Amino acid sequence: MARKKENVRRVSRRSFLKFLGGASLAGASLNLVGWGKPLTADKAAGGNGWLPTQYNIPGSWPTLVRGRVPIEVTNPSIVRDSQKCILCGQCIEVCKNVQSVFGHYSLPLIEGIVCVNCGQCIHLCPSGAISEVDDTERVLKALADPDVHVVVQTAPATRVALGEEFGLPVGTNVQGKQVAALRKLGFDAIFDTNFTADLTIMEEGTELVKRVKGELKKPLPQLTSCCPGWVKFVEYFYPDLLENLSSAKSPQQMEGALIKTYYAKANKIDPEKILSVSIMPCIAKKFECKRPEMVSASKEEKDSNITPDVDIVLTTRELARMIKKAGIDFNALPDGQYDRLMGDSTGAAVIFGATGGVMEAAIRSAYYLITGQQPPLTLWDLQPVRGLLGVKEAAVNIPGIGDLKVAVVSGLANARKIMDQVRAKKSPWAFIEVMACPSGCQYGGGQPRASAPPSDDIRAKRSAALYQSDSNNQLRNSHDNPEIAQIYKDFLGKPMSELAETLLHTEYKSRAKQFIGEKEKSS
Amino acid sequence: MTKGVLVDIPKCLGCESCSVACKLWNDLSWDPEQKVKTAKDRAKEPNKGLWPNDWTSINFYGLEKEGSPAWRFVKTQCLHCEEPACVSACFSKALQKLPEGPVIYDQNLCVGCRYCMLACPFNIPKFQWKKVIPGIRKCQMCPTRISNGEAPACTSVCPTGALTFGEREELLAEAKKRIKENGYIDRIFGEKEAGGTGWLYISDVPFEQMDFRTDVTTKPLPSYTEEYMKVTPIVGVSWAAILAGLYVYFNKGKEPLE
Repeated sequence: MARKKENVRRVSRRSFLKFLGGASLAGASLNLVGWGKPLTADKAAGGNGWLPTQYNIPGSWPTLVRGRVPIEVTNPSIVRDSQKCILCGQCIEVCKNVQSVFGHYSLPLIEGIVCVNCGQCIHLCPSGAISEVDDTERVLKALADPDVHVVVQTAPATRVALGEEFGLPVGTNVQGKQVAALRKLGFDAIFDTNFTADLTIMEEGTELVKRVKGELKKPLPQLTSCCPGWVKFVEYFYPDLLENLSSAKSPQQMEGALIKTYYAKANKIDPEKILSVSIMPCIAKKFECKRPEMVSASKEEKDSNITPDVDIVLTTRELARMIKKAGIDFNALPDGQYDRLMGDSTGAAVIFGATGGVMEAAIRSAYYLITGQQPPLTLWDLQPVRGLLGVKEAAVNIPGIGDLKVAVVSGLANARKIMDQVRAKKSPWAFIEVMACPSGCQYGGGQPRASAPPSDDIRAKRSAALYQSDSNNQLRNSHDNPEIAQIYKDFLGKPMSELAETLLHTEYKSRAKQFIGEKEKSS
Repeated sequence: MTKGVLVDIPKCLGCESCSVACKLWNDLSWDPEQKVKTAKDRAKEPNKGLWPNDWTSINFYGLEKEGSPAWRFVKTQCLHCEEPACVSACFSKALQKLPEGPVIYDQNLCVGCRYCMLACPFNIPKFQWKKVIPGIRKCQMCPTRISNGEAPACTSVCPTGALTFGEREELLAEAKKRIKENGYIDRIFGEKEAGGTGWLYISDVPFEQMDFRTDVTTKPLPSYTEEYMKVTPIVGVSWAAILAGLYVYFNKGKEPLE
C-alpha cells in the first residue's frame, strides 16, 4: 500500500514551476524561428530564377524591347521551343521594325495570328528557340518507299549558302555538290528551280509588257509575285492592290505544277505516285505549297488523288541536316548534273536569289519581248538595282515605250513605304520587285545561320556569288534558255496561253478580314 | 494600398511571354507532359493549365462576336484576393497576405493539410503530389520584385500592354475608363468577386464564355466563418474553466490522492 502511494506523482510547487518554465522556453523558441510572425516577401516560394536585365527596373514604365512574337501552333513554317526562350525581345524587333508586321495591326484578334511566315525571327533568335518546322522525316520516309517517285527542285539561293554548313567559305557556289548530294540521298529526279525562274520571267515579263501596252486591263505598277511572304503581306495589308500583283506563280509552284504534268507525261509516270519536294532558302514556301489553290496538276488532270503541286518544302538547313545524318562527305563529292527537261537555266535565273535579280532578269527579257532584239550589254550589269540597299530605283530606256521606271525593294518595312505611295497613286514606277527578306532570298528564313544576328558582310558575299554565277553563264537572258523554248513548243504553246494560265498563274485573296487594321484603331 | 494587375483580355494575342517569364523568374522546371499542350488544350482542362510548376497559363477560346470569329486568350493565375479564403483556412500561417497585395506561401511553415485548396474559390493552389516532402504551389505575384518597386515578371514582359501593374484603386479607375472607351462588357471581374481580388479582368466578350467563375459570391469568403470561428479561443478557455470548476466542485471535501 505504501509503495503504491509513492508511485502517484504529486503536483508540487517545484514541478508546476518546471512545467511553466518549459512551456515558456518552447514558446520563446517557436517565436525565434518565426512562427506566428507576419511573412516577409523573401519567405515566399519561387523568385529564385532570373529575367533579362531590361525587365528588372523599378517603376511602371514599359521596357522598350520586350516579350516575343506570337507563333500559332498550326503555323506551317515556324515552331518555337518555349523552354529555350529567354524573352530577349529580338524576334519582336525584327517582326515589327524590319518586317512591319507585329504591331501593324490592331487588337483584339479576329481569326488567327498575323504572320507572313518570312522566318527572319529565326535568324534573330539568340537561343535557338525559334526554328523551321522540320519536314525531313517525311522526305526520308518517301525516299525509302520504292513506290513513290520523289522529284526534287533546288532554288537559286541555296547553292551559294549550303556549303557554309560544311565549313566552306561564305559565298562558295556548291551547285554541283548539291546535286550530287541529292542523288546520293536517293531522289529520283533532280530539277533546277532556276528553270522555272526563267519561265517566270517569260510569263511575268509578257504580263508586264501587256500591262504597259494596255493589252491587259490590269493596273500599273506590276508587283512581283515570286516571294510568298510578300504576297501574303499584300493580302493582309494591301488587299486593294491585289490586282497589281503579277498573276504569275512563284518559280517553286510553277516547277511543282510542271513536275506533275509536263515531266510526268514526258516520262510516262503516274502523277499520283510523284512526291514533289523543293529545297528552298525560305520557310514561307512551306506555307505557299499548302495554299489550297496550289493544286493545278490535280485540277488539270481532273484527278483528286494527285497531291498538291509541291508536297514538301525543305529549307537549306534541313537539307544540310539530311546530308549530315546520311554521313555523306559533302566537300568530297564530285559535281553532279541536273536532270534534263527542266534542268537548264540562264544567268538571269540564278540572280533571283538576290534582291534586284528578278528585276534585272525581267528587264533583259522585257527588252527582247518589246523590241524583238537582244538586250544591250548594259542590261547584263544593271548596277542601280544591285546591292543591299532596301529601296533601289532605275529607269531603263526601251525603244518603243521609252523610259521604264522600276523599283526594287527588300524588307517589308521598306515595302510598306513604297506601297503607301502606290496606294496614294504617287508611284512613278511601272514595275516593282519586292522580296520580304532584307537583301532577298540569299538571307531567307531557311538559309544557314551564318552569323547572329544577320550581317551585311555575309549578305554581300552570297550576293556576289550569285552575280558571279550569272556572269559565268553562257546564257544571260531567260528567253535564250533552250529548254524554255522547248517547253513552249512541246507543251505550253506561248506565254500566257490557256494551259500556261492554268498551270503557271494564280489568284490572290484578301486576308483583311482576319484582323483589324491600323487605321480603324485611331477612329 | 494594395497592388494589383489589370488584364485587358482583348489586348492579348497569346504570345505566352508571361508564362515563360514566370518560369524564368521563379526557376520552375518544364514538365514534358505539360510542355506539349497548346493554349487550346489547356483551356479544356479542369485546372486551366495550372500545375505545381505552372503558376500561370494562357488559355485559348475561339469565340464569336457579332457574327465574326473572335480569338481570345485568358491568362490564369492566383487572383490574390483582398481577403483570401486560403489564408483564413491556413492554421499554420504558411499562407499570408502581404500589405502590398501578394498572397504568399512559406513552405517551412506548411504542414501539408491542403485546406487552402479546398478553401480557394478559383481552384488555384496546387499540391506537389509527386514530391517526398510536398508543398503548395501557386503564383506568388513576385513579392521581391514588388518590394523593389518592379512589376511582377509576367507583367513586365507583356509586349502588347494587356497586363498593367499598379495600385488596385487606380487600376479600377483605368478599367472603367477602358470599358467606356472600347465598349467592353460593363463588368470588372475581380472588383467584387470573393470580396475583391488584386487581379482584375476586363473583356469585350462575356466572361462566362471564357470559363470565368462568374457565380462566385461577392462577400469575402473568410467572413462566412469569421463570426463564429473568432470565438474559438474564448470557448476553449471558458470550457477549460468550466471543467476545472466542475472538478473542484465534485472533489470538494474528498481526501486528496496520495
